[in-house]
Amino acid sequence: MRVFSLLATLAASATVVLAATVQYDFSVDWVQANPDGDYDRTFIGINGEWPPPPIKCNIHDRVIVNVTNNLGNEPTAIHFHGLFMNGTNAMDGPAFVTQCPVPAGNNIIYNFTVDQPGMYWYHSHYGGQYPDGLRAPFIVYDPDEPFAGQYDEDTYLSVSDYYHQSIPWLTANKFLTLTNPTGGEPIPDAALFNNSQNIKFKVEPNKTYKIRIVNMGALVSQYIWFEGHDFKIVEVDGIYVEPTDASMIYITVAQRYTILLTTKNSTDTNYPMIASFDTTMLDHVPNSLVWNVTGWLTYDENAAFPEPAMIDQYDFYDDFNLVPVEKEQPYEPDYQVSVSVKMNNLGDGVNYAFFNDISYVAPDVPALYTVMSSGNLSTDATVYGANTHTYVLGYQEVVEIVLNNLDKGTHPFHLHGHTFQVVERSPAAPDANTYLTYDSANPGTVNEYPMRRDTVYVRPNGYFVLRFKTDNPGVWFFHCHIEWHLEQGLALVLVEAPLEIQSRQVIPEDHYAACKAGGYAYEGNAAGNTVNLLDLSGEKLQPKPLPAGFTARGIVAMVFSCISAFAGMGFITWYGLSDLKSTELEVAEALGEPLDDSDESK
Amino acid sequence: MVQIFNVSIFFVVLRESLEASVVISVLLAFIKQGVGKSADDPKVYKALVKHVWVGAAIGLLICLVIGGAFIATWYTLGTNAWGTSEDIWEGVLSIVASIIISIMGLAMLRLNKMKEKWRVKITKALEGSKVRGKGWFRRFMRKYAMGILPFVTILREGIEAIVFVGGVALSSPAKAFPLPVVCGLAAGSSVGYFMYKGGDYMKIQYFLIVATCFLYLVAAGLFSKAIWFLQNFVWSHRIGGDLAETGEGPGSYDIRQSVWHVNCCNGLTSGGWMIFNAIFGWQNSATYGSVLSYNLYWIALCVSVMLMIFQEKRGHYPFLKSWTEKRKVAKRAREEKKRLDAMYQDLDAHETDSETKEVSISVV
Repeated sequence: MRVFSLLATLAASATVVLAATVQYDFSVDWVQANPDGDYDRTFIGINGEWPPPPIKCNIHDRVIVNVTNNLGNEPTAIHFHGLFMNGTNAMDGPAFVTQCPVPAGNNIIYNFTVDQPGMYWYHSHYGGQYPDGLRAPFIVYDPDEPFAGQYDEDTYLSVSDYYHQSIPWLTANKFLTLTNPTGGEPIPDAALFNNSQNIKFKVEPNKTYKIRIVNMGALVSQYIWFEGHDFKIVEVDGIYVEPTDASMIYITVAQRYTILLTTKNSTDTNYPMIASFDTTMLDHVPNSLVWNVTGWLTYDENAAFPEPAMIDQYDFYDDFNLVPVEKEQPYEPDYQVSVSVKMNNLGDGVNYAFFNDISYVAPDVPALYTVMSSGNLSTDATVYGANTHTYVLGYQEVVEIVLNNLDKGTHPFHLHGHTFQVVERSPAAPDANTYLTYDSANPGTVNEYPMRRDTVYVRPNGYFVLRFKTDNPGVWFFHCHIEWHLEQGLALVLVEAPLEIQSRQVIPEDHYAACKAGGYAYEGNAAGNTVNLLDLSGEKLQPKPLPAGFTARGIVAMVFSCISAFAGMGFITWYGLSDLKSTELEVAEALGEPLDDSDESK
Repeated sequence: MVQIFNVSIFFVVLRESLEASVVISVLLAFIKQGVGKSADDPKVYKALVKHVWVGAAIGLLICLVIGGAFIATWYTLGTNAWGTSEDIWEGVLSIVASIIISIMGLAMLRLNKMKEKWRVKITKALEGSKVRGKGWFRRFMRKYAMGILPFVTILREGIEAIVFVGGVALSSPAKAFPLPVVCGLAAGSSVGYFMYKGGDYMKIQYFLIVATCFLYLVAAGLFSKAIWFLQNFVWSHRIGGDLAETGEGPGSYDIRQSVWHVNCCNGLTSGGWMIFNAIFGWQNSATYGSVLSYNLYWIALCVSVMLMIFQEKRGHYPFLKSWTEKRKVAKRAREEKKRLDAMYQDLDAHETDSETKEVSISVV
């Protein structure tokens, strides 16, 4: 027995010795670039370059990212999308959830281990900042992947939408304003392949390429296909799946697909590869918008580069039917979170997004810091605020999220800290006035081994059902990954096992230092109250609803208008009844003297 | 219902036809009382009456033709050239209509004064129509003076009506014209008839007071609507294409300008509320502009009525007593001079002409 444990310890330490530490020093600053050749603009770059460099590591490595904010005029915060941050919730990144925004001139260190293989990405999680440029791939290599040795080269490809104007300007002037009452999202100006266009993706004949694809956009899902080539999907969002043949994928923002693509055995010609916007997600499609972006699988630089062919319809593989390599049957839920997605206008005339009737408003104190400073009250959802839509979850339970989409748009939802089983996903409703909602008595299609990932879309007027295990104590954000909708408040907070967070985790000093430097509160409940945690006066709330019908102002106006009208009619009557007297006068005048021809009434 | 009956048109036509029928009834009353030597000869009486009616009928016919042609041309040339500036057109036309109605409205309440004035005018016209000179035109005028007067009056009132109706109702659909025109003519003619019959003056006056009250409610509503349309134009341009999507709900109005808003009862589109909109200027989404303008209109009206009553009682507007006196004196001096000149001319003519000084109307 002791030998066995000794051997186990040796084995473990061997792994530890093999696991390296990867350090990145990031200076976040402004960089000029022109990715679509149409418009030179300033981006948020890292270390003077845009696009920002990818982070690469091996599985089980420790990653340390030392971020200094040299933007000068904006705070920032970085989230490592898809990484569980198990035991290190403070490194997850969303502002006012697990940290304060890092003000200009300050720095923060993200220090965590990565125990998941596959393709991820990192991006700003402050306001709607990342489409201004702070996003790049995060690649985790795994020598033990199921398809090891089946490919010749491991590479990556990104797609995104692209805006010429800066996000803060668009938000204030075009989006979150009362002159945009329908909440129409700003239309992107172009589509990008690898932060560029018309790229030449060099390939050699008769080779298999492992291509990790990520959509780093702000809004639009894209269809991706390679003319003349089919491929196998082998991983989604860090979950290995049984290799599945496909010719086209539909990838929403924040999702990742890893494919194995085998090239042809001739170098006669090059083949177009296309990424195409799902234009149904756009409020309207302007005539000037080119919603496709092209590249070529380049076999031979000197061969022809044909134009892509038009297609009649998008024949993409529905990711619902992917089967994970580690097969799990649907979990039995212990607890259900049920929300409906709505969009509506509030009293300031602006269009907001709601889960049930709550539009997320960030608290004064990041939720994780409230956990750390609220002792036993951390299990009472009240302390996290009335407008943060917080649910407190137990430890080692199965939680089911039922989401009914009462909006006619497609939305990709992302859960921090977990992957989840996609147990059900309804088709789109047949028309704009019908809604398909979850009915546990009449369930829809459930696969034997449900697909798992960390970002999944719901169809217009449809619903989905997700299940996951609460095996990762931490404060986890659940939100729509369309940046515009996040700004509109389409988010909620899951506080998972708060007592375990308190007992096992520590917030590093430099995180608190960033709060102090920015003047943010870092202790107490959502209103910053450290004395009486159940007293939330002064907390941030969503705007009041629009007045329904007559307010005091309207009634006063109506009453005064009626009084004026009656007064006016009174005067008219008086004038009419006084005709007799004046007429006699006039007649007398007329008979006595010539009548005055310049009559007022004519 | 509002789509086939435009209230403003009704009131304009009512007012003009009232005036015209006053003229006719005065003329007929004169003839009855013996002007034109008709007291002696029933045949002469009947002929004179016929002249009046024929003259009136021809005048009316010409007016209807001109009016119809005008409206038809206007509508075939297409009034839908407004496009995106429709709100501005509606706004401006409504202000014009409101002003026109306001100015002419109070005159209806001085109908008796109108009648006396016409009596005097016609007397002068008949006295003064010793149309000198030969020439077949002058002879024709003399012969048919009793027919020409109503003809000219009706023509003038009718053209006035067409112009006013045009100003008041160009934004209505073409089928909103015939019914109110007919109703207005009918109502105006019947009031004139009652006046001729010497009917109960008070009853007529009550009718006229009620009619005028309605008229001014409509005018106030029009003024309020005009301001509302102009504000709506500004708002629809700020939110661009979204206006179509927002319907009556949030976003279809500017929350900062809103005094009240209900998501129903739209005065421009929904059934019974359109009548409220036509008569009172009701909007389901009122702005500060539309409410303030409504109240200011009534205040202005009250002040105007007070000034007019003052003037009628005292003969001058407040603070303008001496100025009015001076004008009256000057006017009288001019009138006196004209009368003396006419007398001298007469004496000259009498010497060279063989005609008598009698009212020279001969009947064939």
